[in-house]
Amino acid sequence: MLGKGAKRKFDENEEGLEGKAVLVGEGPSKVSYTLQRQTIFNISLMKLYNHRALTEPSLQRRVLINNMLRRIQEEFKQEGSLRPMFFTPSQPQDNSLDDGYREAQPAFSILSSIAQPLPQPSSLTSTTPLDSCLTPASLLEDDSSYCTSPVTQTVPEPQTMKPPLTLITQTAKDSFSSALDEIEELCPASTSPETAKAEMPDPRIQSSPLPTPTGDCKDSGKVCPQKFEGLVTQETKVAAITALESRQTDSLSPSNLEMTASSGFLTDLALDDILFADIDTSMYDFDPYSSATGGASKIAPVTADDLLKTLSPYNNQPVPPNQPFKMDLTELDHIMEVLVGS
Amino acid sequence: MLNTIQVLCSDITTLSLEAKQFASYTEADIISTVEFNQTGELLATGDKGGRVVIFQREPESKNEPNCQGEYNVYSTFQSHEPEFDYLKSLEIEEKINKIRWLPQQNAAHFLLSTNDKTIKLWKVSERDKRPEGYNLKDEEGRLKDLSTVTSLQVPVLKPMDLMVEVSPRRIFANAHTYHVNSISVNSDCETYMSADDLRINLWHLAITDRSFNIVDIKPANMEDLTEVITAAEFHPYHCNLFVYSSSKGTLRLCDMRASALCDKHSKLFEEPEDPSNRSFFSEIISSISDVKFSHSGRYLLTRDYLTVKVWDLNMENKPIETYQVHDYLRSKLCSLYENDCIFDKFECAWNGTDSVIMTGAYNNFFRMFDRNTKRDVTLEASRESSKPRAVLKPRRVCTGGKRRKDDISVDSLDFTKKILHTAWHPAENIIAIAATNNLYIFQDKVNSEVH
Repeated sequence: MLGKGAKRKFDENEEGLEGKAVLVGEGPSKVSYTLQRQTIFNISLMKLYNHRALTEPSLQRRVLINNMLRRIQEEFKQEGSLRPMFFTPSQPQDNSLDDGYREAQPAFSILSSIAQPLPQPSSLTSTTPLDSCLTPASLLEDDSSYCTSPVTQTVPEPQTMKPPLTLITQTAKDSFSSALDEIEELCPASTSPETAKAEMPDPRIQSSPLPTPTGDCKDSGKVCPQKFEGLVTQETKVAAITALESRQTDSLSPSNLEMTASSGFLTDLALDDILFADIDTSMYDFDPYSSATGGASKIAPVTADDLLKTLSPYNNQPVPPNQPFKMDLTELDHIMEVLVGS
Repeated sequence: MLNTIQVLCSDITTLSLEAKQFASYTEADIISTVEFNQTGELLATGDKGGRVVIFQREPESKNEPNCQGEYNVYSTFQSHEPEFDYLKSLEIEEKINKIRWLPQQNAAHFLLSTNDKTIKLWKVSERDKRPEGYNLKDEEGRLKDLSTVTSLQVPVLKPMDLMVEVSPRRIFANAHTYHVNSISVNSDCETYMSADDLRINLWHLAITDRSFNIVDIKPANMEDLTEVITAAEFHPYHCNLFVYSSSKGTLRLCDMRASALCDKHSKLFEEPEDPSNRSFFSEIISSISDVKFSHSGRYLLTRDYLTVKVWDLNMENKPIETYQVHDYLRSKLCSLYENDCIFDKFECAWNGTDSVIMTGAYNNFFRMFDRNTKRDVTLEASRESSKPRAVLKPRRVCTGGKRRKDDISVDSLDFTKKILHTAWHPAENIIAIAATNNLYIFQDKVNSEVH
């Protein structure tokens, strides 16, 4: 699944962490423990959601990964705070980890390759938070190659969103995708607290050494999940909100702000639903958006804005509620190929 | 009696190599299972392309005593084809997950092969004579024009070149929702079982439209699923006993006399987790990838990611022996998780007398452990070290500190070259090692010289 060539470097970077993993003590070791935990958590999520093989994935592997995620979630819960602080110390360590992490993630290379042809407007290079917005937007394009979402066409366009959006509308032209649009309308994607959570990291970029201001999605993409996700304290959340608000006043709804501030992370319910949803054939009358996000009931009416916002600062980390839907569409795509081809 | 481990350390020679090794291989050529039959005369391999290759041991030759015992290709056939599951919209791979031979009962051999979903029973038989001189059919089997038949003759059998025929006899389909990981023929020679991730079914070898579910661990709600079945095997003598292993590192021994559905085990073998080694990956590395009864039926051999363990059927709380296969990987688990190697399913094998155990590792290395002397050895299945008749040199992985000549460091291990499938001849010191697309057969040298 992952490139072998990149592995060794990752090794070196990880080794130090690994040794300390047993020490769940105070101070620096606690930091590296949390860091490792976060890394493993991210890797696990990626493993679960990046599966695009045509054959049925191994159940054993998925169960083991799921157990891992549950265990880490349990730890999160026990620690009270959803996202323990581990950002402040050891900046360099984070960076080195990021390097290895980036190399080890084929998903990002896909993203970056998609992102390459992007026009690079100067407005993006000037404001750092927007830079981070660009990354997820490119992921949105990635999505669009699987399912072009009607949302992108109805979106009230904030300035910063333009480049990705134009790309999306280009890809949205074939007839099949319009059929998919209809399907998508049948099962509206909802923003859930989980996805909202994923967008919190962006403002942190402001306080971090940025990747080159070229808007390289690969770089910012790998930085986000590693370094910033889960580091958000209450103050920075506020900062995040204001930052976002100032730039995306049109699109940012108050409900979403609430979610951002009070989000839980990956409730058991959401995680499990998605995990095993595609195992049984019963998944085909299973609507991931109505049942997967029980905790999201308070934001029941979902607007296109919401979806855009969840997708845009999306940090390359697969966001659960979007994923099963995407997989469904891929499968649908495949069936269509078979039907049309034969 | 030979000191086995000496034999293993210094006197193993390469017996034969598969011919196709030099070409670049495709995914379909990767060997996915290896299995000797009960006499050791035949050896079957299955690959990811759904093919089964059967090797036969050549009878002893008086002219060339050295050539005794070589395994040559006996028959090749396509066992499974790729299919498509239209309900799930997923491909069903043709990869052969397991092969099991049935005990021989007549001149023909029978074997079971399975992919993820479908088990097939194959008959392998020889033909070296053909009937000639039918009255109503010509040589090609077409009906003769009756007006040309003027005299009657007695058909006769004429010798011909040996032909090996393989024919499908039974297809056991549609009984597994999940991936079949094990099949095991019962000692009653009439039934066999097939295990997938969540269920074990019992079949009669002659009946394809019905099977009995003997274990079902599928929870009512799949969200509650935390454990899967990883392997299962019948006891070699007691047809009512079988064992299955789980992804949580447990072994359950079941007695089919107790009830029709063996959801309640008779014995549960489980070792408590060592708190000093606890990590994020504790559960994953304790997942059992293979379980084998000893030939005596007294012991169980299990393989998890880092160790092999021997269990006594009479002691459930811990294994009687634990051997480290590649403990130096313990500090690499995060990377191995990241690149998915941690989910590799290594198999394990007993020798004929249950005194030595064997299992695979990375970098085309495989390990042997002598249970009596507690000595162990790392050997390499590679083309360089395995020129026919060459003696295998023990290899050593250096884990920091002083490094001897020929040692290989942990960092330079090749994790794409893994030996997952191994088999040991049921009586002799002959082993078969599947390394990616190559099959290596090694034999201890003393044995071949004595004969």
